Amino acid sequence: MPNRLKDRVAVITGAGRGIGRAIALAMSGEGAKVVVNDYGVNVDGSNPSKEPADRVVQEIKHKGEISLANYDTVATMDGAENIIKMTVTNFGRVDILVNNAGIIRNRMIFNMTPEEWDDVIRVGLKGYFACTKFASPLMREQRSGRIINITSEAGVIGTSGGANYSAATMGVTGFTKAVAMELGRYGVTVNAVSPLADTRMLESISESADKIKNSRGILGANLSRGCGLPEDIAAFVTYLASDEASDVNGQIFFVTGGQVSLYTNPSISKASRKYGIWTPDELEELFRSTFASDLVNPAPPY
Amino acid sequence: MADRLKDKVAVVTGAGRGIGRAIALAMADEGAKVVVNDWGGKGAAPGAPAGNADKVVAEIKIRGGSAVAQTDNVAITKGGERIIQTAVDSFGSIDILVNNAGITHDHMVWNMTEEEWDAVLDVNLKGTFNCTRAASVIMKRQRYGRILSIISGAGFVGNTGACNYCASKAGIVGLMNTVARDLGYYGVTTNMIAPVAQPDELREAGKQYVGMPTFAAAIEQRAKYGIKRLYAGPGATGNEWTDHVAPLAVFLASDAAANINGQLLGIRGETVEVWTQHRIIRTIFDRTGKWSADNLCRIMPYIMADIFNFAPAQKIPTEKQSK
Repeated sequence: MPNRLKDRVAVITGAGRGIGRAIALAMSGEGAKVVVNDYGVNVDGSNPSKEPADRVVQEIKHKGEISLANYDTVATMDGAENIIKMTVTNFGRVDILVNNAGIIRNRMIFNMTPEEWDDVIRVGLKGYFACTKFASPLMREQRSGRIINITSEAGVIGTSGGANYSAATMGVTGFTKAVAMELGRYGVTVNAVSPLADTRMLESISESADKIKNSRGILGANLSRGCGLPEDIAAFVTYLASDEASDVNGQIFFVTGGQVSLYTNPSISKASRKYGIWTPDELEELFRSTFASDLVNPAPPY
Repeated sequence: MADRLKDKVAVVTGAGRGIGRAIALAMADEGAKVVVNDWGGKGAAPGAPAGNADKVVAEIKIRGGSAVAQTDNVAITKGGERIIQTAVDSFGSIDILVNNAGITHDHMVWNMTEEEWDAVLDVNLKGTFNCTRAASVIMKRQRYGRILSIISGAGFVGNTGACNYCASKAGIVGLMNTVARDLGYYGVTTNMIAPVAQPDELREAGKQYVGMPTFAAAIEQRAKYGIKRLYAGPGATGNEWTDHVAPLAVFLASDAAANINGQLLGIRGETVEVWTQHRIIRTIFDRTGKWSADNLCRIMPYIMADIFNFAPAQKIPTEKQSK
């Protein structure tokens, strides 16, 4: 039924390509008015351009649906505020916010520069906060809304070679749960989606990095290519934005082609209590005898 | 004095009080040479005194241990570098890094200022990166290291009024997961401790939060708002057992823990815990290899039927309705 989101106003950041674009197309196809935000940069955050956002808006209008382009960066408070302001000015409200804009600048921790750290965090974590900060009072007033945060297996599961990106995307999960608790009572839901889809970003992860990981037995997210398309992610995000998901709040999902999974929170798997303060000797004995029995070292020493 | 950490060089950030101080003392007691770092900044309580690093160093020396004070701010790149350099200059290297410095600045997300966000993320998350990155170069070269980060249960389960803090602590987990995988090959272990010891200042600071004079009042307010998870995290109800955290840190820093890497451990007073991180508990597959929004809208309500919303919508009249 292609009118699930009729007359809802959706803002999608990083909607010029990949997953963001697919979500913009899917939501407009369901009747939403869509603001396509994209700063238009390369995967590493360089060279902004208006083209990607404009192209997607043209695609949407060509189908007879309503859309507007916005070129602000989410990485500044002003940029984020502008995105929301422009949406309200043109469409009167914000019903759906999809925080999707993200960049990567992979480097092993011992080689990572402060700039590589700052740039990825500013877009992929602070950007989510900034957009949420400006959209949430509106949703709160409306007593309805949907915030969907795109995260990554690199954060939720972990991998090697992108400490900045893993920090940002895992930070997003903590942020998601906190904001879900704050906004839920106002009829606003906040959830996170960890996608695996063939995109420019996935392609940019070098194959040699993968080979080294495998040869060293390093455990991590299986960020292999050829698993699902951006449209698959968009279908699930459309569900989250719909009325059927009105009581789904503070959850983390993994989505790829033909698969949707639900994550739990981190939780206690083993606990041991003594009366008094544990000594290091007792802890050593505890780990040796029981605790460490199924702990796996995700990167054993050579 | 025991000698589990004999001749090892340890850096502990935010070691002027609370958990950091307890860890610094315990490691020094086990023979480590300790760099006691504390910026002496406001922490979570405005107006907290500076000079705590010196006090802790004096305490260690009285107990027969070896320590130097270091007062750089972890949140600044050069600060993190200087902290690690102090270990090298004073004691020749760095073997153990305990990322403990952390602050809070609570506010609901729609009221949170950029300054509040930045302050917490800079100290908690970027500060951890700064120190870890600088230490990792040395630890990789010497094919030995122990990196410990103090995180929090709140980072996982979420807490009202602390989206910056939760983002920072969850961010540290993401960072540490990757660092464990970047460095494990080189004989460096990286682990996280989620303590339930509430340092005095954080509890005191709770009395200064806007609109939430005490943690008890915050819990009451959450209950009133219909939020089904009332506490900030497993058991964060104000225990002051900072002493319980230190032995776990000592154990993880020791040679006996050489194959414990990438793990998340909790210490809740007398109870020590192993945590699993996010796990998939439920999956639906579509045989065609593609889920449509229509099919998802049909099936997901059943899949999610027993997953409760811990902050369900309440019937709150809008401003217009209440006029």
